[in-house]
Amino acid sequence: MAILSFSNSDRLYWLGRYSERVYTTLRSFAKHFDTMIDLKPEEYADFCKKQDIPNIYTSKEDFSRRYCFDENDPNSIYSNLMRAYDNAIVLREEIGSETLAYIQLAVYAMNKAKISDAPLLELQKVVDNIAAFWGMADDRIDEANVRSIIKLGKRVERIDLYARMNASPDEIRREIHRLSARVPQTGLKYSASVIVHLNYMAAKTELDYPTIVKEVESLIDFTEIRPVIGL
Amino acid sequence: MAADGLYKYSEQINELLARYGVKFGIYKNNIFKEQLFPFDTIPRVIKKSEFDYLERGLKQRVTALNEFIKDIYSDKKIIRDGVVPEEFVYSGSGYLAQCEGVCPSKGVYTHISGIDLVQGKDKNWYILEDNLRIPSGASYPMIARDICRRSSPATFEKYHIEDNRNYAKLLRRTMDYVNTGGHTVILSPGRYNAAYFEHSYLAEQTGAHLVTGSELTVENDRLYFIDYSGKKEQVGAVYRRISDEYLDPMNFNKESVIGIPHIYDIYRKGNVALINAPGNGVADDKGIYYFVPKMVKYYLNEEPILQNAPTYLPYYKEDMKYVLDNIDTLVLKDVAEAGGYGVVFGSKMTKTEKEEFIVLLIREPRRFIAQEVIDFLDIDIYDDGEIVPRKADLRAFVLMADEPLVWKSGLTRFSRDPDSFIVNSSQGGGFKDTWVLSE
Repeated sequence: MAILSFSNSDRLYWLGRYSERVYTTLRSFAKHFDTMIDLKPEEYADFCKKQDIPNIYTSKEDFSRRYCFDENDPNSIYSNLMRAYDNAIVLREEIGSETLAYIQLAVYAMNKAKISDAPLLELQKVVDNIAAFWGMADDRIDEANVRSIIKLGKRVERIDLYARMNASPDEIRREIHRLSARVPQTGLKYSASVIVHLNYMAAKTELDYPTIVKEVESLIDFTEIRPVIGL
Repeated sequence: MAADGLYKYSEQINELLARYGVKFGIYKNNIFKEQLFPFDTIPRVIKKSEFDYLERGLKQRVTALNEFIKDIYSDKKIIRDGVVPEEFVYSGSGYLAQCEGVCPSKGVYTHISGIDLVQGKDKNWYILEDNLRIPSGASYPMIARDICRRSSPATFEKYHIEDNRNYAKLLRRTMDYVNTGGHTVILSPGRYNAAYFEHSYLAEQTGAHLVTGSELTVENDRLYFIDYSGKKEQVGAVYRRISDEYLDPMNFNKESVIGIPHIYDIYRKGNVALINAPGNGVADDKGIYYFVPKMVKYYLNEEPILQNAPTYLPYYKEDMKYVLDNIDTLVLKDVAEAGGYGVVFGSKMTKTEKEEFIVLLIREPRRFIAQEVIDFLDIDIYDDGEIVPRKADLRAFVLMADEPLVWKSGLTRFSRDPDSFIVNSSQGGGFKDTWVLSE
């Protein structure tokens, strides 16, 4: 296991979460965008509701632009990507330049999409670079705890988003099983009772989505585990 | 042309540098921005025999500077013997009274030195300045070389060039030599520092841990890194990329929130190595620069191999007279400034500016040095499809391990403005790789 500072463990976790948030919300946005073209122009309101973000948008065009690219909107995909970047840029020695490069490339692709006439085409490159980032993380990060903390963040975020978006029970069950196997490998302090409860819920026929969101969010509490550094 | 195989790939090479985040930070109107550091693919080429000469001179100079710092913070023989006037030592901002009587691990002060040189049209090399505090820049040619080799392997097959990607090994050897026991860390003020790319890249390449002050703590006279489970790991060497005044709020600037309380106390006891040593600023002051050739003679009993640019100290009456008589042909430098700031060319001042400057010079003669303007040898850069000449300097790196080690490369910085001598990245300059031929 790598010697890792508390702040870097926190950053790795959030790098996993924000990169997953960008990946999943972008893919979800693309589906909703397609529906908005000619079937249901107001679809974005439903999207916002599911994501639990305020519907501050005035039209499907306003939504398409601001939800993707508004750097002043904390819920935009752009803002989430920049948070992933802010965490990644200070983790070069943990994840390596080759892995970090894919987050950097995702940022370049996002900036290119922002000024494109056909942003959805360019945004595909953001998705591709995030996918490549995870591939590189798996392939190039030798330290098991470093790799596992990123993956833990990814799993937590995915369960949270899938549950909010009412994904199929099987998809959520699969993610809960992956999360349960991953979390002991991180070296982080976590709530074992949350894992037990999530698995209990996953075994039921009907899933209680709101409780799953609440539980998965309480798995790791970085404010609780911050070591005290004396003067 | 040495770069014939490379410059057609300029765009792709710069794209790859961007991919790896090869940037520097800059503050404009109090807003932090990251900028790409433009890379020119035409290298500066130095022949083996010429670099052998530079290597000898650089080793000699840095050895003398290390002796000077040791002497100033202990016996002060060079002052007593009248070689360096004491007011040049004690009035400089780089002198730290807290360093008196402190001897660092293995007696090394100048672990990493960045010596700035220029080559004149007469083909002579001149030292422009010694950077002994936190010189930066080695990472840029190191990563650029890696990408250039991928772009045009035939170029590197054809020419026999020293591989500069060994800088991380040299740095690790330097850090390990003085390590007092425990891990080696690189202490960074954080990502909003201008050289953050370098901090993180060197950590990755050397295998050192990149840390900020809040991740280190002093307990029981030892320095510890606290990991995420709360376990303490002892640290024996800190390559700190924060300046002296912010290193320890208990011993230096009380307002510092990026330093480590009491780290200087345990350094003083020999329980941790600080790289570079605090207090080195006493030797890289622009005023002290004038005396470096005298230090070489004094400490090493050798003739200096490398020359300073012809320099005048207005502090001395005869030099003040020369400066006032020849101000139009000189470049004047404020000794307290760095990064290309505080530099004025006499020829470019208006009449009023000159009059005001002379008043200031007479009032504060210790604050300025004057130098003859060296007619730099222009070197070619590839600019927008054509090859054009530009001013450039060379930052050579000398590392002090069990022996002085000169990195067989260097950071060549150039001005993109055809009328400018200022090559600093913060003022729009670019960089080149520096090839040292191995045969």
